[in-house]
Amino acid sequence: MGFVAPLILGALATLAIPVLIHLIQREKKRVVEFPSLMFLRRIPYQSVRRRRIRHWALLMLRLAALALIVAAFARPFFRRNTLAAAAQQSAREVVILVDTSYSMEYGGRWARAQAAARDAINGLSAGDRASFVLFSSGAEVAVRSTSDRGRLGSALAAASAGPGATRFAPALKLAGSLLGESPLPRREVILISDFQRRGWEQTPGRDDVRLPDKTVVTPVAVGDPSSANLSVTPVSLQRTRFENQDRVAVTAGVANRSASAARVTLSLDLNGQQMQALPVSIGPNGTASVTFAPFTVSSRNMRATVRLPPDALARDNVFHFVVSPGEPVRTVVVNRAGAERESLYLLRALSIGDTPRVEITERTSDTLSDNDLRVATVVILNDVPVSDTLADRLARFVIAGGGLLFSSGPHASWPAARADVLPGLPGAIVDRTSGPSARLGALEYSHPVFELFRAPRSGDFSSARFYSYRAIDKPVAPVLARYDDGTPALMERKAAEGRVLLWTSTIDLGWNDLPLKPVFLPFVHTVIRYLSDYAEPPSSQTVGQVVPALRAAHVATSSRGATIALAPSGARLTLGAEDGAIELGEQGFYEVRTQGAGPETATVLASNVDLSESDLTAMDPRELIAAVIGRPATGPNGFAEPRPTDDAQAQAQRLWWYLLVAGGLLLAAETLLSNQLTGVS
Amino acid sequence: MRNTFQSGAIPGARFVDPVVLARIGNLELVARSVVDGFINGMHRSPYFGASVDFAEHRGYTPGDDIRRVDWKLFARTDRFYVKEYEADSNSNFAVLLDVSKSMGFGSTGITKLDYARILTACLTYLVHRQRDRVGLVTFDSEIVEHVPPSAKHMETVLHVLDRTRPLRPGQLRAPLHKLAEHFGRRGLLVLVSDLYEDPEVVFDAVSLLRFRGHDLIVFHVLDPAEIEFPYDEASAFEDLESGEQIPIVPEALKDKYRELVRAHIDALTAKFSELRIDYALLNTAAPLDHALFNYLSMRERMSRVR
Repeated sequence: MGFVAPLILGALATLAIPVLIHLIQREKKRVVEFPSLMFLRRIPYQSVRRRRIRHWALLMLRLAALALIVAAFARPFFRRNTLAAAAQQSAREVVILVDTSYSMEYGGRWARAQAAARDAINGLSAGDRASFVLFSSGAEVAVRSTSDRGRLGSALAAASAGPGATRFAPALKLAGSLLGESPLPRREVILISDFQRRGWEQTPGRDDVRLPDKTVVTPVAVGDPSSANLSVTPVSLQRTRFENQDRVAVTAGVANRSASAARVTLSLDLNGQQMQALPVSIGPNGTASVTFAPFTVSSRNMRATVRLPPDALARDNVFHFVVSPGEPVRTVVVNRAGAERESLYLLRALSIGDTPRVEITERTSDTLSDNDLRVATVVILNDVPVSDTLADRLARFVIAGGGLLFSSGPHASWPAARADVLPGLPGAIVDRTSGPSARLGALEYSHPVFELFRAPRSGDFSSARFYSYRAIDKPVAPVLARYDDGTPALMERKAAEGRVLLWTSTIDLGWNDLPLKPVFLPFVHTVIRYLSDYAEPPSSQTVGQVVPALRAAHVATSSRGATIALAPSGARLTLGAEDGAIELGEQGFYEVRTQGAGPETATVLASNVDLSESDLTAMDPRELIAAVIGRPATGPNGFAEPRPTDDAQAQAQRLWWYLLVAGGLLLAAETLLSNQLTGVS
Repeated sequence: MRNTFQSGAIPGARFVDPVVLARIGNLELVARSVVDGFINGMHRSPYFGASVDFAEHRGYTPGDDIRRVDWKLFARTDRFYVKEYEADSNSNFAVLLDVSKSMGFGSTGITKLDYARILTACLTYLVHRQRDRVGLVTFDSEIVEHVPPSAKHMETVLHVLDRTRPLRPGQLRAPLHKLAEHFGRRGLLVLVSDLYEDPEVVFDAVSLLRFRGHDLIVFHVLDPAEIEFPYDEASAFEDLESGEQIPIVPEALKDKYRELVRAHIDALTAKFSELRIDYALLNTAAPLDHALFNYLSMRERMSRVR
């Protein structure tokens, strides 16, 4: 039996108040100070008999009436035995979700999870059906809705914890869809996990998880009270260039998630050999970092690993990464013959900076060779008249993925026959030498070229004055910048994988003073970065991440064949040239190359476990259940019970009505009795 | 303006609540505000002592000062008459203030001692303005402080009053008898006490003073709670002086108590009347003017040189 509003039962305490007052008054000694007892002493002492309860029956009647009324307001109901009721009902559809994230390898968690799953399988009755789902970052159905316990047991025996991180949302969504497909009336999810808080909080998709109505969620927590753990943190690399060679200094960190300080040795391995080892002390619940001595990056795809001595959770004690020499952006600057000085500001600006490093080749329109275009990533045409032949070659370059910047000064021209390459053809010269000079008015700050300057005081383009520029005939492409009269200043066109930018003024001091302004240098760099589609190659990836195969094998794609990938375990994954992606499922180094090409052309990917999993802090499973089933988990042992129907609820709580009537009757009887007694007295 | 008050009624506005006065703290200020307000409203001038007005003639008796014989009247009548004047001398004035612990009782926001203190200050100030000599004796079971009457002791009296505290149990007989021996010169004595003694003991205590020729005024100060006994709950009542406690059920005793108090007051009134001692019962809930009025009436009666 239970009460809907048990707090109201506290009102029963008020029944004791009259009795308590009587008792307290008997014991209390109140002292009144009085000037003199001279007169009082003369009065013969009278003991006044305290009023005693004379009508016990009346008192009991009143107390009983009050108690009944209070009990009625507390809304009592009879709790039916859920398990007994369940036994009488029909078959269940059960989804057993087992957490296989690497945190399950901590202590005896995995063994406990296996035992819990085995109990769940053994607990299935004859008509029940069950699905067996393993989940970490994603969820995978090991056995789909079956009543065959043997299959379920085999799947359990074959399961093991892996390098994934806990994510409850995909698993619960999958469980929801499995239950939704089932015709069986009773549905249950048995969730076996160490319930890491990180697995639920701040994970995408958690708000979309909803289980079918009346689903019972049974959490089985297999975590330990202790969550002490040491883990490495992602490394950071500082590159320097010395005698045309890259040198890299690795800074690695250690996180200590325990209440006691630790002192460990952190080692750095390069290509499988330990190079350096440094001691590091970490305070309780703190982090510490060390920087290893710089080493020279002598070859591509150097496999590096930062390592801690193994502990209870070994996977997060290793961090793999790949170091390669920085690839320069090969840029060809094309000038008119004899007008090389017009690229002075441009060349000076391009020669500054390391990310990316720009390797410049100067050519004239006559000396620009096919080989130049093959190795180049970006071509800059600085006020050059372009012939039909050159336009064709440049069009092919762009379609192959190259970047082209066309600066249109007084001499620039582009054949109308290849107008499909440029965003527009340079037209008549707009002379703004008389009257106020032109300014750059509207910039498309959402574009990568100008995004750097979006914030206030992050570069003022309006300070540059433009004395002349070219109008654009047939503009067909997005305009990224305009002059104050609305004429496009910078336009963009994409062709296949390449990008073309059209700058309608000179890129030196001929028609404007932009090269003298502070924004010129970052502007040139953002243009080069955009045209070359430059991105710092990631030194490491995370297990569960999906990497595009083409991009992974970018270097090796001179001949387009099937791409193969070798997993750290040695497994060979064959991927078509066009079908996209490798899902990193293991911890270690993946090797991706084109079939038939040698290992020297391979690209190496470092795959690491998600280090957020190394925080073993557990959450209350009820919290998760409440979020999933949309109501608090109020059942015994944290189980969510199926919501009873309104009629059943009303039926179970009907008792209050009888209590209220009984209380009312007793009060009526009390009135009669007291009237009678009063009359008698 | 003075005619406004010729009916003799004392306007209620002047009757300042004693509780308010008790909060002022500065006794001289309190006394001045009460007395000046009182004097300004009186129909008659209260400056008896300062007057040199002729009162009456009486026959010469041996021992009279020969300078006071009215020679003009002797010329007309050939008899010796002596001229008498109103209040031609300064008299001694002293307040005998009971500071026993029972005086520390108060149920209305002011204790009896505070009330008595203000009363004493007012009387002293009033008398001092008449150029009489003022003094003060505080006592409980014995004499606590003694300021001999003097024209210069006004400040001292107020200072002693200010630091008086009810500390010990009191009694009347021993200290008053001792005082009777001490006060050699006849004067006006004002006894302020709650008179928690049998009437016989009280008379015995004060009679000696009276027999020594002092004019005596007794102010019997009682708290309203002592008169009305407004208690309801059964409690242990503790004697402030002895610390003795007895359980009391007020409902049962209230009437009897009031009877006893009334009988006590009646007995005192009767006996003091016999002894020609002025007696006034002062309720601490009532304004001070009543007490002053009593005093002045008394003083007026005895102001003439007989």
